[in-house]
Amino acid sequence: MNSLVIKALAFAAVLIIGTLVAVKSMNVNMDDTINQLTLLGAVAIAVLAFGVSAKYINQMKTDTATGELVDHNWDGIGEYKNELPSGWAYAFLGTLIWTVWYWLVGYPVNAYSQIGEYNQEVLEYNKKFEEKHKNADAATLKAMGESIFLVQCAPCHGETGDGLSGKAQDFTKRMSKEQVLNVITNGSDQLKYPMGAMPGGMASGADAEAIAAYVAGGMKGEQPAAFGVCAGCHGMDGKGNGGTAPNIAEYDETLVTAVLTHGKKGVIGAMPSFKGRLTPVQEKALASYISTIK
Amino acid sequence: MFHWLEKNPFFFAVGVFVVIAFAGLIEILPNFAEASRPVTGLKPYSVLELAGKEVYKKDNCIACHSQLIRPFKSETDRYGQVSLSGEYAYDRPFLWGSKRTGPDLHRVGNYRTTDWHENHMWDPKSVVPQSIMPAYKHMFTNLADIETAYAEASTVKAVFNTPYGPEIDGTKAGWEKYKPTVLEEAKKIAADMKNKDVKDAVARGEVPEIVAMIAYLNRLK
Amino acid sequence: MQSNAALEYDYSVAKLFTYTTILFGFLGMLIGTLIAAQLAFPELNYLLGEYGTFSRLRPMHTNIVIFGFTLSGIWATFYYVGQRVLKVSMAESKFLMFMGKFHFWLYFVGALLAVITLELGMTQGKEYAVFEWPIDIVIVIIWVSWGISIFGLIGIRREKTLYISLWYYIACFLGIAMLYLFNNMSVPTYFATENLGSFMHSVSMYSGTNDALVQWWYGHNAVAFGFTVPIVAMVYYFLPKESGQAIYSYKLSLLSFWGLMFVYLWAGSHHLIWSTVPDWMQTMGSVFSVVLILPSWGSAINMLLTMKGEWNQLTDNPLIKFMVLASTFYMLSTLEGPIQAIKSVNAIAHFTDWIPGHVHDGVLGWVVFMIMAALFHMAPRMFKREIYSKSLMEKQFWLQTTAVVLYFTSMWIAGITQGMMWRAVDEYGNLMYSFIDTVAVLHPYYVIRALAGVMYLVGFIMFAYNMVKTMTASKELAQEPQFRSPMA
Ligand code: HEC
Ligand code: HEC
Ligand code: HEC
Ligand code: HEM
Ligand code: HEM
Ligand SMILES: [Ca+2]
Ligand SMILES: [Ca+2]
Ligand SMILES: [Cu+2]
Repeated sequence: MNSLVIKALAFAAVLIIGTLVAVKSMNVNMDDTINQLTLLGAVAIAVLAFGVSAKYINQMKTDTATGELVDHNWDGIGEYKNELPSGWAYAFLGTLIWTVWYWLVGYPVNAYSQIGEYNQEVLEYNKKFEEKHKNADAATLKAMGESIFLVQCAPCHGETGDGLSGKAQDFTKRMSKEQVLNVITNGSDQLKYPMGAMPGGMASGADAEAIAAYVAGGMKGEQPAAFGVCAGCHGMDGKGNGGTAPNIAEYDETLVTAVLTHGKKGVIGAMPSFKGRLTPVQEKALASYISTIK
Repeated sequence: MFHWLEKNPFFFAVGVFVVIAFAGLIEILPNFAEASRPVTGLKPYSVLELAGKEVYKKDNCIACHSQLIRPFKSETDRYGQVSLSGEYAYDRPFLWGSKRTGPDLHRVGNYRTTDWHENHMWDPKSVVPQSIMPAYKHMFTNLADIETAYAEASTVKAVFNTPYGPEIDGTKAGWEKYKPTVLEEAKKIAADMKNKDVKDAVARGEVPEIVAMIAYLNRLK
Repeated sequence: MQSNAALEYDYSVAKLFTYTTILFGFLGMLIGTLIAAQLAFPELNYLLGEYGTFSRLRPMHTNIVIFGFTLSGIWATFYYVGQRVLKVSMAESKFLMFMGKFHFWLYFVGALLAVITLELGMTQGKEYAVFEWPIDIVIVIIWVSWGISIFGLIGIRREKTLYISLWYYIACFLGIAMLYLFNNMSVPTYFATENLGSFMHSVSMYSGTNDALVQWWYGHNAVAFGFTVPIVAMVYYFLPKESGQAIYSYKLSLLSFWGLMFVYLWAGSHHLIWSTVPDWMQTMGSVFSVVLILPSWGSAINMLLTMKGEWNQLTDNPLIKFMVLASTFYMLSTLEGPIQAIKSVNAIAHFTDWIPGHVHDGVLGWVVFMIMAALFHMAPRMFKREIYSKSLMEKQFWLQTTAVVLYFTSMWIAGITQGMMWRAVDEYGNLMYSFIDTVAVLHPYYVIRALAGVMYLVGFIMFAYNMVKTMTASKELAQEPQFRSPMA
């Protein structure tokens, strides 16, 4: 081979290696056939485009123009009567054969359906992962939860879960005083707990202030006497009486599942419902991750 | 035979035209009846949403955002259910886009909310610190063109039988009568927002672009 | 070979379009460089208030380079090449002279209107077909004027057989006319109601998936008949003319032309792969794209073989360098496109930066290189002066070549990386990356691309400078050069 073609192929190689290094460093799944075919396509582009054009350019060095001229010219431009380059003609034929293959075998017109392929893909995924993580341990759940959180929840709650300075729920603590006061005053009826709705106006004035400060402070220190009203439903420890009312002391699975199912609108803003977008295992994983955010 | 064509420009041009035109027929026509049918339950855009769609076009969000969820698990996990042809039946023009510098928005109404959009359109970095999306602060002061949106609804009703009610009739009087309905819808959005200027404007009976924009984004489900 | 000395061609219209080619080329690439920089450094979005965001400027970029720069280039060369290969001068017909000038001035006014309305946000929202209906009407009249010029010149021709370049100019005219009309069908809302709302606003005649089909039947072929066909017209004239070599093979020209005409139109649905258009139609787009490689490569190979044995011309004449490299970039983009059209590859490539990468090896490496080379070749003949500086041209060539390579390699890697990251799942089967992760990873590539933009823009300024100097201050020529352009 001549030096020009070698240089061109070397350039192609550098480009391909660069691409490989870049994608490898992002840990993408190399056993994904789509990824493999894409890289194969990239190799084909680089090698063929650079290699073939270098071959022709090299002919400028090594070959000379020959052939019979047509007996006519346009503004001084002549034309040879040369035959088609055979490489070109055979390649043309090759693509036509490929076309027939693609229609009949690759994505057969009468049999291929992209939605069918998609359904198959989802089915296989679910089988693989539901089976594998049916009885996931705590550490797995937490790690899984974190990965889901970063994709689905971080745009609102922030990557650290701190609620982005009051733009969404801050998971480093259970609730702010303002949030609790709001519920005490207005009640709440969105989460569909067995207990039903919480009526507004259960406490007011200094009592409400004291309760709110206590709940927002993480239910530490001395319990204000007025909290008794709340304990009726949420329990003395605020943990929600075994899931009949929300746990207001800390995040638990029941709460997170309820919020994900029904969404929530509060003083901060609105939290969308994720109904149908997450599997039960994923919801459990999220709950276990959220309860560890400090 | 070809030499003959090259000496006869008229037939040459006709030849070229025939060769290029007939592929178009095969590519486009067969799908026409089929693909314009709406999925069941699909409602036409409200006038406020149409005004928002106009803002989306004008500020050209399509430069960065697609509205087409492809049938891959990685896409449906990220954005929700695969997009269906019938869901676009009232989209004139279609807004699928061809570049995803930002995420797909076809179902963004399912997982983002009014207050989030308010923060995000004012300053994307305030919610997504690494965002490269521009801030669209001017939408909080510019007013949306709701009259043109009404005209659009009337036009698609009259020309393409888009199922709007009798109150959308393309007359000046009809518009005067309908305007309060649009303002009501705008008030509902503004109620979930915090920006004081926007709230005041809506109270005055004006519709800032951001309100229409959010109505449109919330509608994308 | 016969001499054309007897005929005085009239280049006044070609000159006018040459000026706008330079003007719009500069503006369009300036904005291109700015938007490239905005993706790397988002603070740059706020230089011009609401009018300066990436999203507002991006269509300014695409429309100015396509409808400003490229169209001007096509017309500048047509009004030059057309006369010469038909052996008639525009000066021979008062009517054609008038049409040519009318064509130019209406175009110029139309371009200004287009820029203004677009910047004001009046848009139909379809990529590459953004102008509202009143502008569309102006565009149709402009197009018809060009048609009258083409067929008028042909009507009074002395050369009976149409040269290859003219085949391509005619195809460009017919193709765009058909595509543009159908894709822009819309109903003005102002007239469909009691004059409510904006006068400019209209709604598309087609909706949803149908609209998508019409749009990409148009969009793909607008590329075909705007960025491919007329540029091939140029290379078939300017490369043999500048080098003095005869075209390698008439047969190859013929098969490539009709092959291209036949196959191109079928490939439009490769922009809609994995969308909601029927599966068979997507498959059709894929297969015809792959078949399209050969008719496209045919022209490029024909050009490269035309230069067989002319190595010294290649090394010695930067103008030849531009055209040879343009042909190879044409080969690159017409192989890359088809491969991106394969379903499995499109699953990654679509929506990513690999597509703008593909676009720009076509437009920067092929379209702009070819148009600049054509104008360089025309300048000594139109202005009767030699090209101002060969060494500047040489430097410009290397600077811009480096820029194109940086542009397409960075976007290639960026696009493939991002496409794969979107699909990546972790060990639990959940998405591995949030969307913003896949944006943040692109930063270095966006910086490289912005840098490439600056380099390319500087190259274009060198070109503009060289051209202006050629027009005004270069050594005058006593006689028109036959082949190689004289340069200092
Ligand atoms: C009648 C039973 C009942 C009483 C008494 C009650 N709650 Fe509730 N509380 C509920 C129920 C049920 C909910 C969930 C309502 C829903 O579906 O949103 C709730 C929700 C809440 C929430 C919102 C939790 C969240 O994450 O959204 C807070 C905070 C709260 N209660 C605090 C209090 C306080 C403080 C008191 C005492 C002043 C109190 N509750 C008294 C039943 C009660
Ligand atoms: C569009 C923004 C948004 C997204 C996305 C979002 N949230 Fe929220 N979320 C909020 C807002 C706002 C609140 C606060 C609501 C309030 O109390 O005003 C909230 C509150 C919550 C709460 C506390 C509810 C309570 O009653 O204490 C939990 C738990 C929660 N989100 C979990 C999640 C999880 C898990 C995800 C991801 C799967 C998620 N959120 C995604 C906006 C969002
Ligand atoms: C320069 C590119 C760019 C432009 C222009 C742009 N966006 Fe974005 N957009 C992004 C990026 C990047 C993200 C992801 C990061 C973030 O959320 O800010 C995003 C995110 C979003 C989201 C959140 C979607 C989600 O799933 O998190 C919405 C909604 C949105 N953009 C709406 C718009 C609207 C409406 C416009 C036009 C007025 C617009 N964008 C213009 C780049 C852009
Ligand atoms: C054989 C010839 C070609 C084929 C088959 C082809 C194919 C493709 C494909 C598959 C896409 C991407 C669609 C997507 O997934 O979004 C594309 C995009 C594009 N190509 Fe090509 N390409 C070819 C040649 C060219 C050339 C020569 C140019 C320019 C000089 C060009 C300009 C473009 C442009 C501008 C786009 C972007 C369209 C958009 O905005 O989405 N193509 N092409
Ligand atoms: C200085 C040179 C240039 C630079 C830096 C540049 C930069 C850019 C950028 C940043 C984009 C947007 C990509 C995105 O959205 O991710 C773009 C799009 C585009 N540019 Fe350029 N550009 C340049 C020259 C040109 C020229 C000369 C042409 C045509 C003749 C052109 C045609 C296009 C087209 C068609 C698109 C749309 C591509 C798509 O939608 O996929 N550009 N350019
Ligand atoms: Ca595009
Ligand atoms: Ca139009
Ligand atoms: Cu295409």
